[in-house]
Amino acid sequence: MKHKSNDVKRFQRFATVVLSILAVLTLLPILLIAIASVTDEKVLVSTGYTFLPSKLSLDSYYYMVKQSAMILRSYGVTITVTVLGTLGSVMLTTTLAYPLSRTDFKYKNLLSFFVFFTMLFSGGVVSSYIMWTRIFSIKNTLWALIVPNYLVTAFNVFLVRNYYANSIPHALVESAQIDGAGEMQIFLRIMLPLAIPTVATISLFTGLIYWNDWVNGLYYISDAKLFSLQNLLIRIMNNIQFLKVSTNMALLGTQKIDLPGSSVRMAMAMIGILPIMILFPFVQKYFIKGVVLGAVKG
Amino acid sequence: MKSLQRLSKVIVSTLLALSLVLGMAGAATAETQYDKIVYAYATFNNIPDTETLATVEEAINAITRDAIGAEVTLKPIVIWDYSSAISLAMQGGEKIDVFQSLGDLNTAISTSMALDITDLMDEYAAESKALIGENWLAACSHEGRLYGIPTFKPIALTPMIIYRQDIVDELGLDMSAVNSVQDVTAVLQAVKDAKPDMTPLAAVNTGNIGLGLTVPDVDYLTDNYYYPKGVLMNDELTVVDYYASQQFADTCALARTWFNNGLVMKDAATTSSTAAELMASGNYFAYIASYSYPEKDTAASLEALGGGFKLGAKIIGSAFLDTTSINALSWMVASTSTVPEKALQFLNLTFTDPQVVNLIIYGLEGRDYVNNGDGTVSYPEGHDASTVPYTAQLSCGTLGNFFIMYPMAGTDPESLVWELEQNQNAKTSVAMGFTFDSSSVKTEYTAVTNVIDQYLPALICGSVDPTTEIPVFLQRLEEAGLNEIIAAKQAQLDAWVAAN
Amino acid sequence: MQKRRKKRLAKTGPLLLIAAPGLLYLLINNYLPMFGVFLAFKDFNYIKGIFGSDWNGLENFRFLFRTRDAWIMTRNTLLYNAAFIVIGTVVAIFVAILIYELGKKRRVRLFQSALMLPNLFSWVVIGFIVYAFLNADTGFINNTVLKALHITPISWYSTTGPWPFLLVLVYLWKFTGYLSIVYVASIAGIDKSVYEAAQLDGASKIQQIMRVTVPLLKPTIILMTLMAVGRIFYSDFGLFYQVPQNSGRLFDVTQTIDTYVYRGLMELNDVGMSAAAALYQSVVGFMLVLGANTLVRKLDHENALF
Repeated sequence: MKHKSNDVKRFQRFATVVLSILAVLTLLPILLIAIASVTDEKVLVSTGYTFLPSKLSLDSYYYMVKQSAMILRSYGVTITVTVLGTLGSVMLTTTLAYPLSRTDFKYKNLLSFFVFFTMLFSGGVVSSYIMWTRIFSIKNTLWALIVPNYLVTAFNVFLVRNYYANSIPHALVESAQIDGAGEMQIFLRIMLPLAIPTVATISLFTGLIYWNDWVNGLYYISDAKLFSLQNLLIRIMNNIQFLKVSTNMALLGTQKIDLPGSSVRMAMAMIGILPIMILFPFVQKYFIKGVVLGAVKG
Repeated sequence: MKSLQRLSKVIVSTLLALSLVLGMAGAATAETQYDKIVYAYATFNNIPDTETLATVEEAINAITRDAIGAEVTLKPIVIWDYSSAISLAMQGGEKIDVFQSLGDLNTAISTSMALDITDLMDEYAAESKALIGENWLAACSHEGRLYGIPTFKPIALTPMIIYRQDIVDELGLDMSAVNSVQDVTAVLQAVKDAKPDMTPLAAVNTGNIGLGLTVPDVDYLTDNYYYPKGVLMNDELTVVDYYASQQFADTCALARTWFNNGLVMKDAATTSSTAAELMASGNYFAYIASYSYPEKDTAASLEALGGGFKLGAKIIGSAFLDTTSINALSWMVASTSTVPEKALQFLNLTFTDPQVVNLIIYGLEGRDYVNNGDGTVSYPEGHDASTVPYTAQLSCGTLGNFFIMYPMAGTDPESLVWELEQNQNAKTSVAMGFTFDSSSVKTEYTAVTNVIDQYLPALICGSVDPTTEIPVFLQRLEEAGLNEIIAAKQAQLDAWVAAN
Repeated sequence: MQKRRKKRLAKTGPLLLIAAPGLLYLLINNYLPMFGVFLAFKDFNYIKGIFGSDWNGLENFRFLFRTRDAWIMTRNTLLYNAAFIVIGTVVAIFVAILIYELGKKRRVRLFQSALMLPNLFSWVVIGFIVYAFLNADTGFINNTVLKALHITPISWYSTTGPWPFLLVLVYLWKFTGYLSIVYVASIAGIDKSVYEAAQLDGASKIQQIMRVTVPLLKPTIILMTLMAVGRIFYSDFGLFYQVPQNSGRLFDVTQTIDTYVYRGLMELNDVGMSAAAALYQSVVGFMLVLGANTLVRKLDHENALF
């Protein structure tokens, strides 16, 4: 008895130490960005990025405050898209994965290949673009940020399928069948409730993908009202990057263009992750609970 | 009773019929359709939302309905995605009528993105034709047919050194003696000796310390400004490899000397800061770049960005116009346009009608800009470029006629005169009007571009030793197929010379 | 016999129905646009349009094989992906086990949040971060760390040596938290009774991990690896373009197929050639994964992808 709990405790201490080190190392660069975003611009350019800048300044954030209307609106867009997209994605993915996990399903291999093939081949940007804009007319609508590309990904489908197949005992399904349950009932009463860890996983992944996406917005949205947060930030950052390339400046005769400085760019990066940084620990509570406790008991 | 009923029936039906007829007539007059033109332009400023954009469009339409019988839809696109967005839209069958090139005119011509407007010019854009002139229009032609109209703006770029006036005064340096890039060395050295903590020369942008701009009289034959693949030098009509020339070797050697002596920043090849930022930080003395504005103007406008240091500018070279200088920013009618005549007419307006072009650039008076009474304009009190509902001010050098746009406050009207003169008097290449069609050597282009990307920035920023690197560079270029490109260019050039 | 066949058929209908929405989506979103693949074989002309442009056979593919760059970019893409798969998986599993063992403690939340954060930054921003550390004039490493150790500053963006390690490090920084989540969920799905049995047999924690957890993670590992193999000819553009700040001196170790295509086609904007590059990457990945899947099927039938 004693031996057992010491063993566990030792390992936990080891885990804590290692994870603490990793966490600190991971956070260091982010800390650097945060500090850079409140460093005086001139000091930033002349002495570079340091953890102890000689002069602090909130100018970058004032600059962002001036554009707050635009930024807040984009936050709204992003949050809506993330929530709707994640919900839709979970529904479509879990339902698709279930039949694929049943070894007694006639079309298991065929459909699995059907799904997997989509990971390898794509028709390219142009044909997707033509289809979505001409046939489905989603340009400048919120759907353009939700539907293309991310609602169902083969990656997620296989993750869930894998979980269904390996972590939910087939015995449960069999006994339900003997009791006369239909497939839908089996899915809703057994597969979904017992799959919380994997649902949590793909929700997280999908949520992040929607949060970070700026490509759909670039192709399908020209109305500034519908710019997502990352879309907005990338537009501004890439404008700056564009102008730093010598060939492009030549095109414009090196005009007097007032570009946001390094400090502002860092502030923009921080704003991009701020909500998630704040929300994440709260979401985490349910996630960890779900993941650790939602496991199937013997 | 019955007759009363019948009478009322007749009255009602007559009234109904009348209202139907009147309604149809009313609808007919309200529905007179104007042709619609989609004008796609590149912008650096924020993209406005559709309602705001509509207000500007309405103001433009008020003019265009009478002037050319058409309505305009504005389509601003972020500049870094512009070419891809236009390509995607046209492939997807979206309506684009007027669009611009960003250094890729010859691609637009060879893939038939641009409409042949030779026969439409006299009737629909005669004023523009007269304004731009045959010489410049030749730069947008291919095999005798016209495909675009170059933006009319100060094109002649003069290499200058922009420097800290206060330090020059402090050290008593004579900048009037600096007339070429070789003279600059002495000045940089003097600054380094007096101020060892300062790095004298900053990069103007990533991979460029300005030296490439100072080799005179090189026609890049339709390639972009820093990655030429086969050029004309010294007024000759033989296409040569720029990187094999003595001038290039000398330029790299100079850069290397500066690098070794600590006269130039060490990370010029990969810096993520711009010249403006670097100068504002106070750690750098000068940078070299090409501008189209006169010295005084350049210094003044850059000062405003430069963190309060007093700046001066000195010309160290002369402007040289080749075909690419002129056609890099050209305006074209889309080959897929259904209303090419009206499109060309609107394009003509952007070159000739100050009201139209200023609406596009500045938006609505009062809301997006204010008139200062002396001919210049500024942003409304408490606003700047990022907070007004609509502005495309930073596109002023990329569309229409620059000289009829309202100047921003602080610009000297004399400068416009000087710039116009430069346009007309700058030295031009012997191959002015020749555009190269690269479709036969596309494979070599991709390979050569990658090789140049790999070796050039380090060479012209001095971070590698040219004596060892240039031979490697030349050999890689040969392996990639530069000679094929040069041969193709020469063949097309000879054909062009013979035809002209 | 008859009963059994009837049973099987009865399952198919409702199961298909359940899968239908997802399948429909994939059909529309992924399969319908696949017609665009033929653009790789066309000499695209805007007036003639997608369907009217001329065919030009394999012409658009030439640029992918022509020079010595082709060999370098292919080698780099493959080697980096192999490194990412192997090292990424090991590190992710390691972290996942640690996280799982700490169970319900509150600090787990903090650790996981911290490890997830890098995933939120775009590559442009990560490029800035790396630049902040590595730039020759004012970078943190040169200015602070090396100065303190009295080592001469290194011109990081001109020296190819450290970059393979740097890129793997950046990859791990961005993706470890993300990848570990998959494995945490999988560990959570392991039947606890197996651990209880092992403990009764006197196994220590470490032994339990090595003998129970890791082997039972096999299906997930195989899954993740197979999926990665399918993408082995693709590279994360941002990682190889933004992070090295597009530095020419580093091309020999940072040029991948995606960056080569991007750089080469920037001026040309050629529709057919970009489509050809994408098709090339797809076809090779497809063949490789078919091969890998067949191998897996022979060795471990249940865990094959299809």
